[in-house]
Amino acid sequence: MTRDEIGDLAAAYALGALEGDERARFEALLRADDADAVAALRDAESTLVDLAAAAPAPPPPGVKAALMDRIAAEPAAARAPAIPPPRRPRRWWPVVLSGAMAAGLAAVVVGWSVSSTYEHRLDALARDAQQLRAELRRQQAIVAILRDPATQVVALAGLPPAPGARARMLWHAQAGGVFVAAGLPAPPPDKTYQLWAIAGNAPVSAGVFSVDAGGTGSLSVAPLPGLSAVDAFAVTLEPAGGRPAPTGEMYLLGKS
Amino acid sequence: MAPAVSGSETFPTLIAAIASGDRDAFSRFYDLAAPLAYGLIRRVLRDPEAAAEVLQEVFWQVWKEAAQYDPKRGSPEAWLVMRAKTRAIDRLRSIRRRDRTFVAPVDESLARGEDPPGASAAGMAEDRGLVQGALAQLPEPQRQVIELAFFQGLTQSEIAARLGEPLGTVKTRARLGLERLRGALGGGRMSAT
Repeated sequence: MTRDEIGDLAAAYALGALEGDERARFEALLRADDADAVAALRDAESTLVDLAAAAPAPPPPGVKAALMDRIAAEPAAARAPAIPPPRRPRRWWPVVLSGAMAAGLAAVVVGWSVSSTYEHRLDALARDAQQLRAELRRQQAIVAILRDPATQVVALAGLPPAPGARARMLWHAQAGGVFVAAGLPAPPPDKTYQLWAIAGNAPVSAGVFSVDAGGTGSLSVAPLPGLSAVDAFAVTLEPAGGRPAPTGEMYLLGKS
Repeated sequence: MAPAVSGSETFPTLIAAIASGDRDAFSRFYDLAAPLAYGLIRRVLRDPEAAAEVLQEVFWQVWKEAAQYDPKRGSPEAWLVMRAKTRAIDRLRSIRRRDRTFVAPVDESLARGEDPPGASAAGMAEDRGLVQGALAQLPEPQRQVIELAFFQGLTQSEIAARLGEPLGTVKTRARLGLERLRGALGGGRMSAT
């Protein structure tokens, strides 16, 4: 490669305009510490620094304070225990089968706190049952939708903010749908993911959802009145509570 | 008016301190370098809210990744500016994608990078004048390529398609444009070899 060729690559790379094979080739040169490539990139970048330095702008108030807060909160956040994952349905049946026995065992082990232990167990069982009923309703809704030939399955692919993310939307115009996503990064505390159904040019909110520590999330979507044909589904990151129209970065997109 | 990026020789020291978790060093680095990064981000993103978010992301990266800074590869300013540029362009592309999906036809004024009405505070117009001043010294075809790539996030092939020029021509213009710009901006910087 001639010096000019390397210069061309370095200029385009610094400008952010290099793509595909050429980008890979230039990055390989940098990894190999190619002296010409490194020097050409340094020159190109320092020129762009000068260009940027010709027009500094006072940063908006609040950004620095937000950063310093985030940094101050960091060690505490690192030490905080991870949010416990929701109880898995498969865990519940041994608990039910041995519920009474477990309570009795608890009485032996912690004699004087039988009743409180038992109540604790009952509470846990009630919570399990409640979760199971909710899970069952969700599964029944999925099965009902899956059985209907009018149901569409839309695959959503991850966009640059989360290229590894993916999602499926089971959508039935009259019955509504079920949305499941995986591989999404945890949103900042003041943000939430929001699902949009797009018909023509108009995005309609299909609801907001959270993701668990593993990056998966799901949402049951009620039928959207007035929307007969949906062209696409998309997910954006929005301020907590969602917005009437999308304002944030798009994370997932799938055409139906 | 805008804080000068002074004391460049202390930047590597500050980055090293940040890498070891020194919050005061981070605070000082932010004060010195944020105007440089924000000027560029604001030039790419017209939406002040999006620009503020990107600024925060960029400096969060600085805090998390200061240990990865390699002085052999360039100055801390270049390290910062390239991060700011990448994040701002990513955001711009994301906004364009969103607008393409949600609003058709594409907002052409956004695509052309025009100012929304009332967005040009006198100070910004003045600052932009400086950038334009340096860029204005370039032959029009070179200026166009640098504008489209650096401030509007187009790739080489997108620029070639937009201008109706061969890809090779676009590449050469980018390089020649940057070389000439280096002269126009003073060209005092030497690459340490």
